[in-house]
Amino acid sequence: MRLSTRWVRVSWLLVLMLAMALTVVACGSSDDEATGTPVATGTAVAGGATATVAPPESGYPVITVGAGEPIKIGISTILTGDLQALGIPIAQAAELAGKDVTIEGHAITFERKDDQCSSEGGTSAAQQLIDAGVVGVVGPVCSSSVIASQPLYEEAGITTISPSSTAVASTAPAGRAPYATFFRVTYNDAIQGPALAKFASETLTAAKVYVVFFNDAYGQGLKDEFEKAYTGEVLGSEGFEKGATDFSSIVTNIEQAKPDAVFFSGFFGEAVPFITQLRESGQTMPFLSADGVRDEQFITLAGAAAEGAYLSLPSPTLSGDVYTTFKTGYLAAYGKEADTSPFTAESYDAASVLIAALKQVAEVDGATLKIDLGKLRDAIAASDLTGAIGRIAFDEKGDNAGGETPVSFFIVKDGQFVPFEG
Amino acid sequence: MFWFDQFVNGLTVGSVYALIALGYTLVYGILQMINFAHGEIFMIGAFAGWAVLLLLGGSAIAGPMLIVALLAAMIAAALASSFSAVVIERVAYRRLRNAPRLAPLISAIGVSIALQNVALKLTGGRDRVYPRVFPTGEVGLGDFSVGYIQAFLIGSSVVMMVGLIVFIQRTRTGRAMRAVSEDRATASLMGVDVDRTIVTTFIVGAALAGVAGVLQGLWIPNIRGTMGFLPGIKAFTAAVVGGIGSVPGAMAGGYFLGLSETVGRELLNELPGVSLPNEWRDVIAFSLLVIVLIVRPTGIFGERVSKRA
Repeated sequence: MRLSTRWVRVSWLLVLMLAMALTVVACGSSDDEATGTPVATGTAVAGGATATVAPPESGYPVITVGAGEPIKIGISTILTGDLQALGIPIAQAAELAGKDVTIEGHAITFERKDDQCSSEGGTSAAQQLIDAGVVGVVGPVCSSSVIASQPLYEEAGITTISPSSTAVASTAPAGRAPYATFFRVTYNDAIQGPALAKFASETLTAAKVYVVFFNDAYGQGLKDEFEKAYTGEVLGSEGFEKGATDFSSIVTNIEQAKPDAVFFSGFFGEAVPFITQLRESGQTMPFLSADGVRDEQFITLAGAAAEGAYLSLPSPTLSGDVYTTFKTGYLAAYGKEADTSPFTAESYDAASVLIAALKQVAEVDGATLKIDLGKLRDAIAASDLTGAIGRIAFDEKGDNAGGETPVSFFIVKDGQFVPFEG
Repeated sequence: MFWFDQFVNGLTVGSVYALIALGYTLVYGILQMINFAHGEIFMIGAFAGWAVLLLLGGSAIAGPMLIVALLAAMIAAALASSFSAVVIERVAYRRLRNAPRLAPLISAIGVSIALQNVALKLTGGRDRVYPRVFPTGEVGLGDFSVGYIQAFLIGSSVVMMVGLIVFIQRTRTGRAMRAVSEDRATASLMGVDVDRTIVTTFIVGAALAGVAGVLQGLWIPNIRGTMGFLPGIKAFTAAVVGGIGSVPGAMAGGYFLGLSETVGRELLNELPGVSLPNEWRDVIAFSLLVIVLIVRPTGIFGERVSKRA
């Protein structure tokens, strides 16, 4: 019954390797995204990295909607895990845009799939939505999911409109032309990063900052844009993994470095333990972060530690008729305010853009409806409409070039996000 | 003082690893199986302690009530974790006790994933947060000061570990545990109730992990369904570094891992031309682990493994 010593050693090594592999999976940080190289999922890559957008090689399919059947729109968002607080309102906002809408007598239904804000989740949700026969997709929410799933959607000829992916790489993939089937409503980190850097040096008058970032496409991308634009001194720049809880070592380094402000690039799930440990260790310097943290959950969970935190959103302070319609509609439908969580207005707009384009291209064919996804893509690319966040018109890469003053700032005061004016 | 602070950080996170690692090592010592669901036992303890703190008034708890509340939370966590461990042992491990070694291992991984998902479902996937009842501030002399929470966490862990050693060395049940661990068949012939002893082992390991969950909650402060996974893997690593099956080994391994993630990384940063920010902590911890195992495959205190083999 007893095993030889060598066998015991070998099996230990195996169990250990399993443990390490599991850790790597759990951490879920993909180096591909970090460096911005495209994620190889075995798909046709357009020859040569030209600036023009090439159509997918396999062409666009035509989807037939049967008599009396609804038109299916996919939503790729975060439905499980700690970030669902971010993902579910985004899905609800998109669904609101399609409520009671009919196109040639066909209603619109939404198919929600969980992308878990990860690369793996993004591709799995993409596959499910493609199999479900959706005509277009609102999402994915997170840049990591966007970057991983773009090749799949491109090959299937299905256009995606992300309300919230802010990474520069989403519309400027390394080593190839931008994807023809990707658009986003929000403004990218090449705008938000410099705005944050300017806010740090001018409004917070911080000559030295310490940077803490989440090791994924969003966290790293925003951090890079911030550091590129920041004119002061970056005393240190440290990353963390998904689900990190112990920030004591970073906090001690911050205590030692004595920065004028701390910039946090990531999501609220890790911002909560970080800011709690920072404040409880007696550090009072300003805390600056962006859209990933500007969620009600951050205030609910961090409580007193969240007070005085500065947060940005890559959107103007919202107003206007469409926004009011959306806001009242959202409150009536879901019983809560739309602005407690970021990117709901963007998601409403993404769905509206998609629906407006569907109305243009849907062709009645007897009792059925034919939707040419190529025409749909072109109609989306040519959209020019006023949404809840302002004018929406895409440039050739798929970025929204319609807006004017895209970054707004907030401060946490008495447990509320209060717009912060200079 | 920078180095002292980093040392304390290492001890804090090391204490949590050590408390969880003890559960791995106790169960391995007695059953030669890796209880991969042990990280979830830690998570269950954290949630039980959180629930009790909320019941007792949440953030309104103060003064002498605080001591009562903390004790109640830790006891509730120990009970909830122990109860879960007993159920898991009964349902998922006992029937597989004489099965090939891989069977209970796979069963344990299954239990772990199932519990994580049940917890995510019950919490709606949202984090919960421990009420910030523990006084903030520092104790100590000048530069050598420690935050109250960290001091409390490290102190409680040491007390529990001393208690565990006394329990194993000085009590009848402890002696039975040692006997079953040395040779289950012979112990059984000598009149030791093997099933009962195994259940006791699960209870003791789970109680330590449950209290560790509360201690971490008081410190971190958010808890979630998946919170047991990474500490579970790390604690398992700590147990292996220390020499799995060895009680002092699990303690030493926990502190070793905690310190190498913090002080170890900062020490490497002192070398000319080296810059290893925080994202390297797992790389460093696990590389050290590989080195330790190459130099000393049985772990730091692991003589017993080779003797048994």
